[in-house]
Amino acid sequence: MTIIDMFTNPFFQTALIAGLLASFASGIVGSYVVVKRIVFLSGSIAHSVLSGMGVFLFLQRKYNLMFLNPLYGAIIAAILSAVIIGWIHLNYSQRKDAVIASIWSTGMAIGVIFISLTPGYNVELFDFLFGNILWVTKLDLIVLCFLNLFLIVVVGINYQKLLAICVDEEQAKLQGLSVNRLYLLLLCLVAITVVLLIQVIGIILIIALLALPPMIASFFTNRLWKMMVIAFIFCGAFNFIGLVISYQFNLPTGATISLVATAVYLTILSFNRQKYKKIYN
Amino acid sequence: MNLAIEVKNLSFAYKETKVLDDVSFSIEENSFTGIIGPNGGGKTTLLKLLIGLYKSTNGSIKIFGDDPEKFTNKIGYVPQINMYDPAFPITVKELVMLGCVSSYSFRSGYPKSSVDSAMNAIELLGLMPYLNTTFGQLSGGMAQRALIARSLASDPVLLFLDEPTANVDPKTRDLIYEVLNTLRSKKTILMVTHDLNTTIKYVDSIISVEKKVSTYLPEKICEHFSLGLYHTPLMKEKENDNN
Repeated sequence: MTIIDMFTNPFFQTALIAGLLASFASGIVGSYVVVKRIVFLSGSIAHSVLSGMGVFLFLQRKYNLMFLNPLYGAIIAAILSAVIIGWIHLNYSQRKDAVIASIWSTGMAIGVIFISLTPGYNVELFDFLFGNILWVTKLDLIVLCFLNLFLIVVVGINYQKLLAICVDEEQAKLQGLSVNRLYLLLLCLVAITVVLLIQVIGIILIIALLALPPMIASFFTNRLWKMMVIAFIFCGAFNFIGLVISYQFNLPTGATISLVATAVYLTILSFNRQKYKKIYN
Repeated sequence: MNLAIEVKNLSFAYKETKVLDDVSFSIEENSFTGIIGPNGGGKTTLLKLLIGLYKSTNGSIKIFGDDPEKFTNKIGYVPQINMYDPAFPITVKELVMLGCVSSYSFRSGYPKSSVDSAMNAIELLGLMPYLNTTFGQLSGGMAQRALIARSLASDPVLLFLDEPTANVDPKTRDLIYEVLNTLRSKKTILMVTHDLNTTIKYVDSIISVEKKVSTYLPEKICEHFSLGLYHTPLMKEKENDNN
């Protein structure tokens, strides 16, 4: 297959646009996730999304409710789990990591059961878990566009306030900011980003695109907004390179993108290893 | 003199552990007070109760006769420096500006008065050459100065500092005390410290916290400390009995 064939393929073109849309979200929200150190928490939101996707797929197939796109189920489950996890984080003082991990596995368990109850041959489970960017539809692209727009507007308006709670929640509270509300907002933004990234890389590999581009960006800047821009560029590049490699060598796209991101991160880290080496062992 | 802070019968417990027990004291407006006490004695807890971050189990706190919550952005607070992530991507200027984030609006950004106030604080603390330096790359003393500048950015009427001179060199320590000394006529300052020798040269009074609270004049504190490292009310009673 020639390069021209690849770029003229409508599936490939749609996949490229989906990857670009997901990169926006990854760059912006992933940067907050990394600096706020809520990667594990975001992983929990990502994995519990399978419950919504599974339920909607079941209802769609069993009762022929074609309007119940699993993507909508993902949005509902992501927001719901973000709110529950946020509530636990804000109200539980002990062992909250264990409770959050339980939500992680419960969400996946519900999803797996509903997908197994869904009539017909269920290839969707594999797509949900590992992503299949080549099967993104035009309708999916429109939904992704709106989610991105929402994300950019909300972050644009609340950038300083979200920065304040990421740096120091107590200080933000003293400034009269509604810290709990902003924290829940941040988790809801993570939830939307998760939905955007599931299309590209799937539930299991989502952390790669949420954390690695901002971590790489942090090597190049000391400003959060610059970190977001650089992370977006890197994420877009990983999606593009991963897509091309997977298309050429017939490899799973999500896994290829994830490995490209990891390879770039390790390469840049090796050039900066002196800077980030622990002083004491 | 007006009372800036009035605490009556204040108690606070972390679950079963009582940290402050029936504490009462008052602090005058535009005074400089040092808070001393052993580790775990309740100094930081008292500070967090005063600024409204913790809710008391019993008793009342009045700031200028009102609830602490009503003074949220009129209180400057400098926490202990070890709370911060050195890898956080933020410059000194950005960090200090967050001290007046409540005045930020999406459409017009920070108002000129907030920017001026923040820049004055930066200048006062000698941080002008470090405006665009990453906060995490500053030395301990410089980082402490940046945190003090942030607490002054909103031009607060009350300033609370939690061990601002811990882990800093003598030069930075003196600079911090000099800055606080210049502010004392305009702000009510409360500072938790273990650095008693320097503190007594600057403060108007000293509060000793160990579950209970005792207030001393700086010139009297050494006399009381001759009975032990932290002189508790119980010891004071014994002292009176002996006399």
